[in-house]
Amino acid sequence: MSAISPSAAKTPESTSGQPLLSVRNLEVEYRTKRGRVKAVDHVSFDISTNEVLGLAGESGCGKSTIAHAVTRILKPPAYITGGQIMFKSTDILGMSDDELRAFRWEHLSIVFQSAMNALNPVLSVGAQIIDAIQAHMPVSKDEARARALELLDVVGIHSNRVDSYPHQLSGGMRQRAVIAIALALNPEMIIMDEPTTALDVVVQKQIIQEIRQLKDKFGFSILFITHDLSLLVEFSDRIGIMYAGELAEIGPSREIFDNPQHPYTVRLMNSFPTISGPRIELKGIPGSPPDLVTPPSGCRFHPRCDVAIAGRCQEEHPELQQTSPRHFAACHLIDERKGNS
Amino acid sequence: MSDHNEPILEARNLTKHFNVGGFLSGKVVRAVQDANIKLYRGRVTALVGESGSGKSTIIRMLARLYDPTSGEILFKGKNVLQDNGRKAMLDYRSRVQMIFQDPFSSLNPVHRVRYHLERPLYIHGKAKTKAIANEQVDALLRRVSLTPTEEFAPKFPHQLSGGQRQRVAIARALAVEPEVMLADEPVSMLDVSIRMGVLNLMAVLRDEQDIAFLYVTHDIASARYFADETLVMYAGHIVEGAGSEELVKEPKHPYTQLLLSAVPDPARGLLTQDFQVKGEIPNLTELGQGCPFAARCPHVMEKCRQTMPRPTKLSETRWTKCYLYGG
Repeated sequence: MSAISPSAAKTPESTSGQPLLSVRNLEVEYRTKRGRVKAVDHVSFDISTNEVLGLAGESGCGKSTIAHAVTRILKPPAYITGGQIMFKSTDILGMSDDELRAFRWEHLSIVFQSAMNALNPVLSVGAQIIDAIQAHMPVSKDEARARALELLDVVGIHSNRVDSYPHQLSGGMRQRAVIAIALALNPEMIIMDEPTTALDVVVQKQIIQEIRQLKDKFGFSILFITHDLSLLVEFSDRIGIMYAGELAEIGPSREIFDNPQHPYTVRLMNSFPTISGPRIELKGIPGSPPDLVTPPSGCRFHPRCDVAIAGRCQEEHPELQQTSPRHFAACHLIDERKGNS
Repeated sequence: MSDHNEPILEARNLTKHFNVGGFLSGKVVRAVQDANIKLYRGRVTALVGESGSGKSTIIRMLARLYDPTSGEILFKGKNVLQDNGRKAMLDYRSRVQMIFQDPFSSLNPVHRVRYHLERPLYIHGKAKTKAIANEQVDALLRRVSLTPTEEFAPKFPHQLSGGQRQRVAIARALAVEPEVMLADEPVSMLDVSIRMGVLNLMAVLRDEQDIAFLYVTHDIASARYFADETLVMYAGHIVEGAGSEELVKEPKHPYTQLLLSAVPDPARGLLTQDFQVKGEIPNLTELGQGCPFAARCPHVMEKCRQTMPRPTKLSETRWTKCYLYGG
């Protein structure tokens, strides 16, 4: 890794050792008729081997754009305008199309929210897994089919479903089939973009549990993207909270839940009712996420923040700073608390 | 206001079967089977279920968008299904209003907010002159906290956020001064941070206007937050009903227990408990006469597969349909 800017030097490292994926100062822009939208602005994070990093935030916060940037499937009008994405020692942004084709699925695969759109409706699920395998490995059709059956078994689909078409499967089964394809080449990392959002909670729980077992068995890492913060707290090792294209806070899941540092995280946690917590009045957050054609000055959360510091938060942009060994947040209140402002 | 102990809107043995695959195929989807619901003034009743459980079919029957296959809908004790005339329908809809899930498609993109709110005022004879309509539009916008009202009234739907659009939809429903509001997943398409604002607004309407709400949702935690009573639906059957708090604290029906154990809840601890559940929601065309949950139920008995248990009253506030408790 070369040329790390000063601000990146103090960005969150995951754990000791070299990260599997390292994103530095990533910038993604949508060039729309209304103007340029910085959907992702100077975002940095690492993911280490066998780790689950969750990214949470509301719609339009840039979390899915990050997933698309890391896999290089962004299409115009979206452009990566800055930063670096390293997978071990390979620069993903510098890869040619051929290199990318080989890299995707073998090293890094992706699971999308809508399994119905990810699967080809006119091919059986077996055929689609076989395709994925044969596109990357010099194996016979029979060998590929045997592997496909094995993969379906791994994700909990009975082998008699191998010749079923997507429309013959339930939503949960389709999402399992997509996960089977993502696993086909034993990737080191799987990016999951709202993989269970379209599913009912019971099915979601089954699938999350299966993903966790598969992760422990095969040792891959996961970048898990969702708006459902409670799911992330249960499922991921660390969580990044995105707001308006920026990383507001990142740290170990339990710490984020027990001791959130950014006012946005605190308000977000108080925005959804739980089934076991006290039955208190929940306020949500006033206002709406900003329009990124004209983002707010200073801290982008300040117009909705009830603890904003007058004169500072609307002027000065907060940088991520460390609050505990693996916990970082971008909020001026942190130095106010430290008393060194 | 009149009596709070008499249900204002009641469904009795409401049943809806859809014929599918052409009328010769003989296939029938039993979307809703013998649903009984009572809505009271100033109370929120939640109907919770997974997709395909039939909760949206029930709300559509209550809104009179679908005709039931059998059963009765009583408004203030009078069966409303007997009269399908235009006058009767108009009258019913001025008392029972519906709020839809998707505020992006329930508002007409070519019309301003003002138009959406004026139309029901004119149609239902609440305003005769432009001046009165203006005044009422203003009042409606204030009631849903879209202020300053002169700024919001001339806006088009695309100029509003999802939460603001849903507030316009609520204001439009309020325009006819309804006594019952049927809300079909009113916040599930909104961003997490603005959902509570919309639910809190509806809670204010319940308290201040004495409106009876039916809140249809897949989110049992939000039902606990917003609803006084919660009904749980599975595969076309309402299987349990209880006060919202006692339901989540002590679920009785095995399906309710399964549903609650699947809800992510960090306050309950991390993903430690082993979640074991077999099977999926049954195909509604292949359901027999037994309990629809029998195939997945850890406590299944032989009689569960034969006949659907009848409701067993467990206390003044709760009941369930399960042989574990009687039936």
